[in-house]
Amino acid sequence: MNKYTIAQRITTPIAIVTERGGIEWRNTAFDSIFGADAADWLKEAARAVAGERGWLQGFFLAAEDQRTIDVDIEGRTYRVDKIMPIDEYDEPAVALMFEDVTQQREMEQAKSDFTAQIVHDLRGPLSGIQGTLEFVLSQESAKLETVYSDLLTEAQRESERMMGLINEILDFSKIQSGSFAVESEPVRVAGLLKRAVRSLQSVAARDEVFLLSAHGRDVPQIIGSVEKLTQAVINLISNSLKFTPKQGLISVGAQIVRSDEVADSIVITVTDSGVGIKPSELAQIWEKYKQSGSKSLRGGGGTGLGLYIVKQIVEAHGGEISVASIEGVGTSMVLKLPVRRAA
Amino acid sequence: MSSLPVAPPRPEWSRLVADSLKQHGAWHTYWKLVEARNAYPEDLALRGYVEIVRNTVVLELIGNPKGMQAVPRLSAEFLTNFDRFNLSAQEGYLVSLIDGRLDLQKLLILSPFDPFNTLFHLAKLQQERAITVPQ
Repeated sequence: MNKYTIAQRITTPIAIVTERGGIEWRNTAFDSIFGADAADWLKEAARAVAGERGWLQGFFLAAEDQRTIDVDIEGRTYRVDKIMPIDEYDEPAVALMFEDVTQQREMEQAKSDFTAQIVHDLRGPLSGIQGTLEFVLSQESAKLETVYSDLLTEAQRESERMMGLINEILDFSKIQSGSFAVESEPVRVAGLLKRAVRSLQSVAARDEVFLLSAHGRDVPQIIGSVEKLTQAVINLISNSLKFTPKQGLISVGAQIVRSDEVADSIVITVTDSGVGIKPSELAQIWEKYKQSGSKSLRGGGGTGLGLYIVKQIVEAHGGEISVASIEGVGTSMVLKLPVRRAA
Repeated sequence: MSSLPVAPPRPEWSRLVADSLKQHGAWHTYWKLVEARNAYPEDLALRGYVEIVRNTVVLELIGNPKGMQAVPRLSAEFLTNFDRFNLSAQEGYLVSLIDGRLDLQKLLILSPFDPFNTLFHLAKLQQERAITVPQ
């Protein structure tokens, strides 16, 4: 009996792919579901994860990052369920097993729609509360007794936190449902960073933290979503504000990385002089629902989704993200985004 | 059997930088990290460690009782022997603004450079003893 006979007969689609040769072997279920042109869409799906680094790398990267590769064929969705290295070939090879996740995707979509509706309904009244607090504090702060002014400021801080949590849940539900699309518009990175810093300057001043820009005006444009990248930088600054003590410093910088005199990527850094992250926790901070063991200095927890959302935004732009941290000294979040020119 | 290329292990920056900061201070660590950055140009985390140390340098300048109200002054050594100092164009421009009356906050407003790098250059001038920042 051929050693592949069992694999040939089971109803789970299985294929062995190699770096150079595309699909080296496939079982009957794979053939009947995916057809003859399977190599083309498999390459496309893997490249969506790995870029041009080699299509097999895509499957390894997806496995390492716990990212999923989904393929839509004739109204059904198949997910690359298992990725196993095979050492029988002269070049890198992996066996891929597929799972039909159509029903699971439909349930996720329904859950996401429900979450989006709830979040939308919560944001309306909360915006009203925020507006009222802002108006009262701006108009009457001079006349209010300190105790009431402090209470209103605290209410404003908590309403900002609640709005942040609601927005994170909304973004998370979009990511989960696969509707987290990135626009392709020119993005002026210098302007984006300036807006992000300006939007949190009053919060930093209230918390007695220095928040400084660390970039010139000569940062090149990139192609992507202004809104989502601004949100990513705001998320990072907000995160730094939670862990930076009074009289601490947060800097927001951008550097151009050149190859052959041409800017090919931009590195954005958000660096704080906060409490830092334990080395053992560094690798996990991008995972969903993960929160640093360090306690926020401003009180209140989060959803544990903020950094996960930042990572999704950066990767959706074809970028990379990293973190540097020293306990008791500070933390730096580093985003690298490719400079793509409009065609 | 062939295998996929494996990246060489990267130094344990967190521990190395923390130790260097304790033993040699921020400036020594900064220059070592700049050298390391040339050796590991693709290491994103390393860029983060450089920024953490730059933050430490700037915080040492402004994290004092006077904060941004501290007034930098040209040092006696600079005034008598200024050609000893090998200043960059940015540092030279900032030195030209220092008149013994403008505090750090006002220098930030007048500087054509971004606030963080203005303070970083001033901290470097202080470290090289071209200026003093009395607290």
